[in-house]
Amino acid sequence: MGALAQNRQAGVRGLKLEVVIAGVGGQGLITLADLIAKSARRAGNDVVVAETHGLSQRGGSVVVYVRINGSAPLVSEGRGDLMLAMELIEAVRYSKFLKPGARVVANDYLVPPPLPGLEPPKREELVEFLNKNFSLELVDATKRALDMGDVRVANVILLGRALKVGAFDGFFSAEDVEEVIREAWGPGRNLEALRAA
Amino acid sequence: MPRYREVVREPGEAVMLGNAAIARGFLEAGLQFAASYPGTPSTEITEALAYAYKTLGWPVVQWSVNEKVALESALGAAIAGLRSFAGMKHVGLNVASDPFFSSAYLGVEGALVVVSADDPWMWSSQNEQDNRWYGVHAYVFTVEPKGVQDAKEAACHALEWSAMLKRPVLLRITTRIAHSRTSFKLGPLKRIPIEGRFEKNPQRWTLIPEFARRHRLELLRYWEELKAKAHQFPLNVVEGEGDVAVLASGIGYRYAKEALEELGLEAKVFGLSTPVPLPDKFAEELSQFEKVVVVEEGEPVVELQLRAALQELGSKAKVFGKTDGSVRLYGELDLEDVKELLAKVFGVEYGRPKALEPPKMPPRPPVLCPGCPYRSYFYALKRAVNRLRVEPVYSGDIGCYSLGINKPFEVQDIIIDMGASIGAGIGLSKALKDRVVISIIGDSTFFHSGMTALADAVYNRAPLLVIVLDNFTTAMTGHQPHPGIGVDAAMRPAPRIEIESVVRGLGVEKVVTVDAFNILESQRGTEEALRYVLENKKPAVVIARGACALVALAQARKRKVEVPKYYVDESKCTACGICYTAFNCPAILKREDGKAWIDPALCVGCAQCEQICPFGAFVPEKRVKEWERLLRTARPG
Repeated sequence: MGALAQNRQAGVRGLKLEVVIAGVGGQGLITLADLIAKSARRAGNDVVVAETHGLSQRGGSVVVYVRINGSAPLVSEGRGDLMLAMELIEAVRYSKFLKPGARVVANDYLVPPPLPGLEPPKREELVEFLNKNFSLELVDATKRALDMGDVRVANVILLGRALKVGAFDGFFSAEDVEEVIREAWGPGRNLEALRAA
Repeated sequence: MPRYREVVREPGEAVMLGNAAIARGFLEAGLQFAASYPGTPSTEITEALAYAYKTLGWPVVQWSVNEKVALESALGAAIAGLRSFAGMKHVGLNVASDPFFSSAYLGVEGALVVVSADDPWMWSSQNEQDNRWYGVHAYVFTVEPKGVQDAKEAACHALEWSAMLKRPVLLRITTRIAHSRTSFKLGPLKRIPIEGRFEKNPQRWTLIPEFARRHRLELLRYWEELKAKAHQFPLNVVEGEGDVAVLASGIGYRYAKEALEELGLEAKVFGLSTPVPLPDKFAEELSQFEKVVVVEEGEPVVELQLRAALQELGSKAKVFGKTDGSVRLYGELDLEDVKELLAKVFGVEYGRPKALEPPKMPPRPPVLCPGCPYRSYFYALKRAVNRLRVEPVYSGDIGCYSLGINKPFEVQDIIIDMGASIGAGIGLSKALKDRVVISIIGDSTFFHSGMTALADAVYNRAPLLVIVLDNFTTAMTGHQPHPGIGVDAAMRPAPRIEIESVVRGLGVEKVVTVDAFNILESQRGTEEALRYVLENKKPAVVIARGACALVALAQARKRKVEVPKYYVDESKCTACGICYTAFNCPAILKREDGKAWIDPALCVGCAQCEQICPFGAFVPEKRVKEWERLLRTARPG
């Protein structure tokens, strides 16, 4: 069976994948969800993405839900199979949407909320919580993106790592994502970022 | 990636945002005229149509000054035979409710679809009103898509049915339809040339009492006819068999279907896309069941119509919904809630999945962006107020400046609705003898409904300081233009209405304009105006001007203007903390030793911090004159 045919099996079998994408407004979460949606669709799945717009974009806490082969738009608490997190505080905040033991692919990056006088939680505590309760994969996506000269590609680096650890196996492949990226932006930095993970 | 490319694409399949799909649906049904006021979660429909206009040359697309004018414009075009649409968020329909009711009486020659984007659980709104009530209240046929999956078809059919019925149609969507994304099958676009016509007929088109009475009777007749045929709306579906019936309206259909499937239960499902009026045929069929579960997003609009019909029909059916407490009356639907309810009604065991309780994280409210001119202005405002030793009441409004509610500024003591900063400010200023009232309103909101309130403040001699924060755009909703900018919805040059001229024309005698990026100038100008209010007991206006930093950055990228960064000269920083506490720019962080540090990924070189540091510790890498100019002039387009 070819890769595409294999991918399409998930939809035929009615398998669902419930993904929670968390981070801070401005980190490219909606673009990340769009890439996942288009890739999943390309491989023959149904997909619904529920986004956060408006007020929450101004540096606020953002969560986006992607449900592959589901029909309703939102992930209920305790149901998520997978989280992609661009920031650690937000990863912990929205972890209530995950099944215990779910896979968490998180950017190793902490943005303290800009509230005067606030003592932000320590990175180590957040990582420890995620490690204890979930299957955690940490990625230094922001650092690598800065090294590549464009902080905006951190989201694609995170997606690349999720693909590498098999988070979307049975639903879509890295080739699907590459094709979607090529269609959207042509070859270039985003494709590089996807492979750099 | 151009955001709305798919809206004008050739037939095929595309993954699109619900709002973009609604725009596409309108274009497939021959939309000719669109007028809207931006508001989350409705804005992208009209943005997508503006993109269509730019690429295809049709339809006519306008941003109106407010929702009332938008609806009246669309109604006017529809009276002249065009297929029209007016878009707004749910609370916008409150503003537009007057012409909305009249449109139901008058009907149209072409077609009129009013889109109300409701926002359950108030992600970007002041309330979670369910505007399907407006359908009931005004006798307007109301359509809601059965989830984002139906968004395009619902728009298309709503416009076609309006044209067929010659009556307005309310298309009610919610956040999870507007801002969800899925794949759509695209049909061909239908361009209908604009050939408006109007024949004099006052009996038809004027609502003086004599004619209005006749319209009223016709409307009631129409409503009964509609109840008898609304079940034929193409997106209504009746599926499955079972002893229990599920009446699932709009997005509720997706939750009900998925819940039944996961529980392995069989029911007869009425997937309703026409919540108002409830089609007679469905009510009659439902009256035969013993148990009916109603699943709908928002208030029990369908449920109450059903309960009334069942009583009329003498049905014994037990109804489970929101009025009997089976479903929460607030917030959004949740798949696990619907599963629990269905399991209870069917009498089967179900335990919802256990979720972890994560440790409590600090809140992360949205904040003013780095480089926002409102931050430097608020800083100056606080200094002016301190210097004059007054303790103002800040009458707030709706826009990015609502974020001034938070520390360290706390300059939004009340927030009511669009334009209320001035309206409520009038009453506050008359009630409070020893406090000065400061109204804070943005440029787009000023044109929306601040102007009329300001006329009132002048006329009624309200001792009020009004601050108009002018960043040349409707920023919060994603940078739509307005009459004060000089471009139209398609970003073509348009007449520009100067706020100073409006304010002076309304009779305000003291008007001070300041550069919002210049803290000393802003402080002095505000002191001057505030003193005028205190001494003369009359309104004064400060216009604080500076471009939205996001627009300035976009312009800089387009024009290849370098955006310099600032850094901290450690030898000068004394760790006093003014910058990260009293000023609180997100790009300025506190180091372990208390000194400041600038995150280069966030800094946009706005030069505000340079003005607030008493020790001169903030230093630019370089000065770029063109960037400083853009910060003061950049407009969308």
